[in-house]
Amino acid sequence: MTPRLARILTRLYPRRWRSRYAAEFEAFLLDDNQAKGNVRIVADVIHSAITEHLTRAQRGKMNPDPHSFGSIAKHPSAFVPMAMSITALTMLACVLISEIVQNGQIIREADEGTVAHLWQILMAGQLPIIAFFAIKWLPRAPKASLGVLALQAVSALASMAPVFLLKL
Amino acid sequence: MRSTRSVAEQKSDPGLGHYSDPPLLVLASLASGPKHGHAMIEDIFDISGTRLGPGTLYGAIARLEQQGWIEPLPPEERRQPYRITVDGLRVLRAKLATLDQFTRAGLKRLEAL
Repeated sequence: MTPRLARILTRLYPRRWRSRYAAEFEAFLLDDNQAKGNVRIVADVIHSAITEHLTRAQRGKMNPDPHSFGSIAKHPSAFVPMAMSITALTMLACVLISEIVQNGQIIREADEGTVAHLWQILMAGQLPIIAFFAIKWLPRAPKASLGVLALQAVSALASMAPVFLLKL
Repeated sequence: MRSTRSVAEQKSDPGLGHYSDPPLLVLASLASGPKHGHAMIEDIFDISGTRLGPGTLYGAIARLEQQGWIEPLPPEERRQPYRITVDGLRVLRAKLATLDQFTRAGLKRLEAL
């Protein structure tokens, strides 16, 4: 490939890309004996340059390691139990705050009430999901799965803490 | 892994298409030791029958370097060699294990025919 063509093709790339790769890419094109007059190679470079412009926001994003913490945490069986715990905690907090605002204190009633039943359903309902997550992911990615399980445990404990501390 | 367009020359069966996952191909190539661009292209052609174009190769290199899965070594004359990192090896192992699982399942189904 001629130096002029190599320079023109390299200039098609975004500035940020060029600041890192321009020198070596241009040298690479100049060294490429097969690139001489090869329309397909020129087309490939043009296509890649356009892709670099279009995917600027996503540049560098290959699909992540499927066994990384970030990937595993995106599975419903990982985040749904945490969401259930947070929902239970939020419900509890809303009831406690409204009781304090209305009565100036927390009133313990003999009848547990709807919120208490919902809290129990949310806390108990996440156990099979956590078990499913552990069975599915612990053998595949032990370290990342333990991290997710720890987060699930912390969120469950956070939701249970007011119940035990305030003896509700 | 995101697929990138590649310029490919098939060794055989052009009708079947080619394996086009440049980042994975680059990682697999660097698993046998550090290489510069041209050496990667030849190695990838040898192991997969796919000849990556320069743009496709550097698209993959940029992504892999940004992910921290490969890293540049000191330049040798005008050539820039790269090597795979520990993270890159871990990712490659995971990806190949998935592909292996897929291949085994596919072959098993074919055997059942």
